[in-house]
Order: sequence, then structure tokens, then C-alpha cells
Amino acid sequence: MNETLEKIDDLGFSEEELFAPIDNNSLSSEKITAPRYSYWHSVFRVFFKKKINVIIIAILALVIVFAYIYPMFSGYDRFANLMDSSSKHLSPAAAIEKYGLNMHSILGTGDAGQSTFDAIWHGASISLSLAFICAAINLTIGVVVGALWGFSKKVDAVMISVYNILGNIPYVLLISVLVMIFTASFWSMVFALTVTGWLGIAYFIRTQVVIIRDREYNLASRCLGTSTIRIAMRNILPFMTSVIVTLAATEIPSYISYEVFLSYLGMGLSEMSLGKLIFAAESAMVTPGWGFEFWSPVILASLITVILYVVGQNLGDASDPRTHM
Amino acid sequence: MKKYMLKRLLTGLLSAMAATVIVMLMIFSLLDRTLVFAKDPVFSKQTNNAREVYKYRKWEEFGYLDYVSYADYLNELAKNGEIDQKTQEAASKLGRTAKADSKNVAPYVKQFTEYYESKGYTVERMDAVLQGGRKVASGGTQQLFAHKDKSLLSRVLHYFTGVFQVDNIHSVEEDIGKRGLTFTLHDPVYGGEKFSPAIIGNGTQHKYLLYFNDKFPYIHQNLLTVHLGTSYTVNQGVDVFDTMTQSQGSYVMSPVTFPTGIEEVSADDLHTATYIPGSRENSAINIKCFTDDYTQVNTVKNTMSKVGFSFVLGFLSSVLAYLVGIPAGIAMARRKDKVVDHIGTAYIVFSLAVPSLAYIFMVKAIGGMAGLPTTFDVEHGTWLMYLLPIISLALPAIGNLMKWMRRYMIDQMNSDYVRFARASGLSEREIFRKHIFKNAAIPIVQGLPATILSALVGAIITERVYVVPGAGNLLTTAINMYDNNVIVGLTLFYALLSVVSIILGDLLMSMADPRISFVEKAR
Repeated sequence: MNETLEKIDDLGFSEEELFAPIDNNSLSSEKITAPRYSYWHSVFRVFFKKKINVIIIAILALVIVFAYIYPMFSGYDRFANLMDSSSKHLSPAAAIEKYGLNMHSILGTGDAGQSTFDAIWHGASISLSLAFICAAINLTIGVVVGALWGFSKKVDAVMISVYNILGNIPYVLLISVLVMIFTASFWSMVFALTVTGWLGIAYFIRTQVVIIRDREYNLASRCLGTSTIRIAMRNILPFMTSVIVTLAATEIPSYISYEVFLSYLGMGLSEMSLGKLIFAAESAMVTPGWGFEFWSPVILASLITVILYVVGQNLGDASDPRTHM
Repeated sequence: MKKYMLKRLLTGLLSAMAATVIVMLMIFSLLDRTLVFAKDPVFSKQTNNAREVYKYRKWEEFGYLDYVSYADYLNELAKNGEIDQKTQEAASKLGRTAKADSKNVAPYVKQFTEYYESKGYTVERMDAVLQGGRKVASGGTQQLFAHKDKSLLSRVLHYFTGVFQVDNIHSVEEDIGKRGLTFTLHDPVYGGEKFSPAIIGNGTQHKYLLYFNDKFPYIHQNLLTVHLGTSYTVNQGVDVFDTMTQSQGSYVMSPVTFPTGIEEVSADDLHTATYIPGSRENSAINIKCFTDDYTQVNTVKNTMSKVGFSFVLGFLSSVLAYLVGIPAGIAMARRKDKVVDHIGTAYIVFSLAVPSLAYIFMVKAIGGMAGLPTTFDVEHGTWLMYLLPIISLALPAIGNLMKWMRRYMIDQMNSDYVRFARASGLSEREIFRKHIFKNAAIPIVQGLPATILSALVGAIITERVYVVPGAGNLLTTAINMYDNNVIVGLTLFYALLSVVSIILGDLLMSMADPRISFVEKAR
């Protein structure tokens, strides 16, 4: 051993050459590891890979900014011009002539001389808040109850008959009775839309849980002694994420549609939401020159629902781990 | 299989009844009953005691409680022969206050109070409201009455036992002569010459229990009638079921021979005659036309019933939806990820996400520009007026059918039997038509009965926008007018429809696909 070392010394290498620092990276490359995987990171990577999603998210952000921030600065007061009869039902051209070209006048004015542009964004903030709050409540209760419903056979027997009975009560009736009892305020509307709204979601989740519950990998997991809660949280919930996201995608726009529908029947909110605006301007649809009052909220409501739906669907697709390859 | 379906039907009926009970509980117990008067012009004109009495009378009519006034009680006593007319008259003169009752009145007031309090009623005595010392203020006369809220149990029992009513010869309480059924080969409505068999009853609620006429289905019966609840505000005094099924529009006049032999041009349909006690003597016209108290007749009108209009619209739009939606869904599946698929997906997103109100108005605006009629005119309308409502109803249905048809087809396309069929050398066309389509159509078939039956319910917004006289708006109108009986009746009707359509759907599915069976096979 010593002999060979001496020989190397004789070769006349400098010390640096003899004791080269070890490359840590090459060592670690010997180990078998995968790159760090973050689920949500991958979801957004897949989501933003499609250029269309970037555009839609930008539009959605714009809508939300206009709905929640613009009304703070617009100083919208529905009855500000009530006494000024020359300001009522103006077409965009007439309004621009009267008030000059600015944001308030580009869509004309309504029946009380209010700016249509300000009115629709004020309405959009109410409709969006209602949709987000109702969807959050219904999805939370629906997923939790649905998971329980799917896991326990005893709960299943009870809940199926509850579902059959409550499913037979006309939704319009339920909502209108509740709105009559609690007056048509924002929070009573939230209550009316959520009091049985979670039931359909819970039933949907229950069916999904029943499908996955008895799969082989869960059976194996159970045999290895995994607790039920851990199976639910670690084995089943990740599988359900894309289903839940897709569900949210259809739920949020559906509340806006539903609010529009109820307002049209005269059972909606007392605030001037988008649905209420459409209902109030219905007669303006057929009057020549007043069309903007009616079509502006209709188009904004459609735009919001379509955008939310597309974002939700694509996010649902992206949250399926099988698309992450 | 039969046993299983019977069991399903029974549990379905029970759940429909439970839903009706919940609705009864909601509207009779939870809802503030003073809301009934919110839009009542008569109520706002009433003052003092008269207003209170009016409130209880109305509540009785809306079905909230039982109400008996002191005068009613005395009338009842007189009718049973317990008191004579003179005593009744004397006893009916209530004092201005309870202490001021004369000795003729006081014992009967005491008797009234004791009798109704023992039956659980609340007895209310209202003293006269005086104006300026002696004069009684407007609406301020003294009142005595008893009232009791109806219990949920008795309400439910009373409702469900009355849904189906079989007419019999003891239906009429009054003395009506010889009760019985007569069978005739020559219906007197047609003059008694023409051959037309009929069964005529005396003592029954309806005069004609079975008869023939020239309208589909030619043979009609009045023996078994359905009562879902008598309307109070929507269509006063008429049962919801009749409101939905009776023809509408203007009268159809035709020569009618009345029982007395008088011939007149009239819209009366004598086959629908029902018994109203004492009605003949009360009216000169009835004396001229009728020989007995079966005087209340329906009139013949020229257009369909509410349900009829809704059903025609709903049915035709479903036909359109299936004719367009299914081929479109198949085309999307066959050309997956091609242009057709993308266009179809865009349409599906549109129909699912855009509020229904928005595209109904869009269809109306576009159709109006194209010169199509945008409102329903039952008198002078043409078949063209059905076009826009049908399109409006079909648009979302097409999107939904396309979505599911595409999904099911694509799921089937990846299965092993398709790969095997392809390997065996079958043509793509054959694989799609004979193998994939047949399997993919099974879930679609299950939804067929629900689609057809739900057409009976009608569409709320479409009918409102196009002014269709259909059944869709009945529920919302009833809610707005607080017509509790109509709400309950409609709930039962809707619930029964949904129960039946789910069962029929399963039955149809098991017929279309013999592999599906709902009973455990004996091994």
C-alpha cells in the first residue's frame, strides 16, 4: 500500500491533483429518486399549458375586478337622477352626447336615469357573491355528508329515503316559501338555496364513493390495518378532487342562472342583482332604443356563467393526475 | 319482477305522500298566515271587529282553521228542531258587552261557549266598539265566534281520503226521490232517438256516470273523479285537477236540447251536469231548462286545456331534441377531437352555462326578426306560433342529450368487445350502429318516460315569455296568490309524476337490455 502511494508521489502531481474534491451531485445521481412532485403545482402547470386558459383567467380576473372594485369608485346610486326626466332610457349615443364619453355613459341609462354600465357591475357583485357563498356552503356540506353516506350502509338506508322525499318537493315552492318566511334579503336567499341544495351534491358524491370504496387497493389497504379516516383522506379524497372541481364548475354558474330565474318569477332578491335587473328591464326589450337596458345584464350574466363554467371544466381536467404526464 | 315493481311503486307512493305532508306543514304552519291579506282590497277596507271576523272567515276558506259563528250555531240548532224560529230570533240579539246580554240570550251564549270549548275551540267574544258614547262605530258590532286550528293529522287524513272519489247513489244528502242508476241505449242529450248508451244516476253527484260522445276517447265516465284540492284564489271553487284539464278559450256554440225539451244554441255540455241543492228553484233560467237539480254544467270551449298545451309543446320539443341531439352526439363521438366535436362542445357549454332566461329571449328576438309569431294567440293562431316555444324548450335538451350521448359512446368505444369486433373485420359503420349505439342508448332510454311525463308539468319561463296558456305557471301563480290547496295539490301531482316516471324508466331499461334485472336470480 505504502509503496504505491510513494510511487504516485514520485509522479510529481501537485496536491490539488491528488486530492480532488468529490462531486456531491454525481454521488446523489447514483441514488434512485424522482423529481419533487407537488400535486397542485402540476395541476396549474397543466392548466396554464393551454393558452386559452390564460386568456379566460384574464377575462375572469377583469370581471371580478369590475364587479367588486369598480362599484366602490363608480358612486352608483340608482335614484340619483330620478327627478331628471331627460336622463331616462337614453341610448348609448344619446347618453354619450349628454354626459360625454366616459365609463358611466357607454351603455346608456335605465328607467330611473341610472347608468346601465354601473348598474350591471353592481348587480354582478351581488350575483357573484351569492353564487360563491352558496357553492361554498353546498359543496362543503355535500362532500362531507356524501362521504359519510357512501361509507356507512346504515346512513345510506336513511339518507336514500330522505333524498326521495325531499327530491319530490318542488324547488321553486321550497325557495318561495322560505323567502316569504324570512323576507327576500341576501342571507335568506342564501339559506333558501342551501337548505336542501347540498342534497343533490351529497347524492352525487355518495355514488362516487360507493364506486371507489370497494376497489382492490382499498381492500388491500384495509387488510394492512389502515383506519377508515386515513382511507377516506388518503385513498379516496385524492381520487375525488377532479370530480369535486368539475362539480364546482357546474355549481357556481348554476346559482347565477337560478337567481336570474327566481328574480324573473318575482321571488328573488330585494337587491338589484343581475336577475333582478333583467326582470325589471323586461319591458325595455321590445321598446326600440331601450334594448341596451335589457341586453346588457343578460349578456353579462351569460358571459360570467360561461367563463366560470369553462374555467371550472378545464381546472377539473387539469386536476385529474392522469393528465399530468 | 312484478313483485319488485309493486314494492317500488308502493314506496314511491309513500315518499310522494310524505313530500305532500311536508309541504302542508310548511305552508300551513311555517308561513305567516296574515300574508293572505297582503293583496286583499276587501281586507284593507274593513275596520274594527268586522276585520277580525273577516280574517277568521278567510282563514277558514284558505283551510287554516274551523270557524263557527254564534249565528251559525243558532241556525244549526233551529235546523235540528231544538229551538223554534222565535227563540232563535230572540237569542241572536247579542248585547253590546257580555254583561249586557238579555236573559233570552245569556243561556244560549253559555251553551255555545261550553259546547265549543269542550271540543277544543277558542271562543272569542268581542264587545261593540262605540263611537262618541252611544253610536256603534263602522264595523264595530259585537261578535261571538269560536275557532280552532286544524291539526296536521286530520288535515292529512282528510286530504288523502278525498283524492279519489267514487260517485254513488247516496252522494246527495238531500231528499231527491227514488235513488238509483238507469241504463239507457238512447242518450237523452241527443234527443232520445240516436243510439248512444249511457248510465244515468239519481242521487249521485254527477247525472251522467257513463256516456259516449264524438270526442276522443269517445267513452267518458264520471264515476271515479280525482280531487287534488279546491282552489280558492287561482280559479275559485274549481279543483286543481279540473283547472289543469278543462278546455280553455272561447265558447263553442251548438244546438242543445235541454231536459225540458227546449232547444237552444248554447255551449253547455249537459253530460257534465252535477247536483247543486235547490238550484233549479233559485233561477228562472234553470226552471226553463232543467227538470231537476242537476243544473251545474261545464261549457264546451274551443282550445286545449292547460296541460294539453304544455304537453303538446313539451312532447314536440322532446321529439325535436331526440331527433337532433342523439345523431349530433353520435357524430361528435365518431369524430372525437375533430372540428365537429369542438363545435358540439362549444354548443354544450353554451346551453349549460347561459341562463335559460337569456337564450329564451335570444330565440324570441331572433325569431321575431325572422317574422315568426312571438306570442301565443289561441283564437287566431296558426301552427307557426308553436315553433319558437318548441325551439326554446329543445335548445337545452339538445345540449344535454349531446353531452351524455357523446360520453356513453366514447366509454363504449374503448371497451374490449369493440376492439374484438374491429379485429373480426366488421366495418366501422356496422360497429357503431349495431354494437356501440345499442349499448350507449340504454341510459338514454331510461330517461324517456321522465321526458314525456315531465312535459305535463309545463315550462315556467318559456310559457311566460311566449304567453302560452299552459300549466307551467300554475304553481308560481298559486304561490303568489297564497292558494294553499292548489300548492298542495300540485305538489302531489308533481311527486306522483316523478315517482311513476322513474319506475317506468327502469322498466323500459330492463326491456331494452335483457341483461338488466332488478330481481336476484335464483341460482
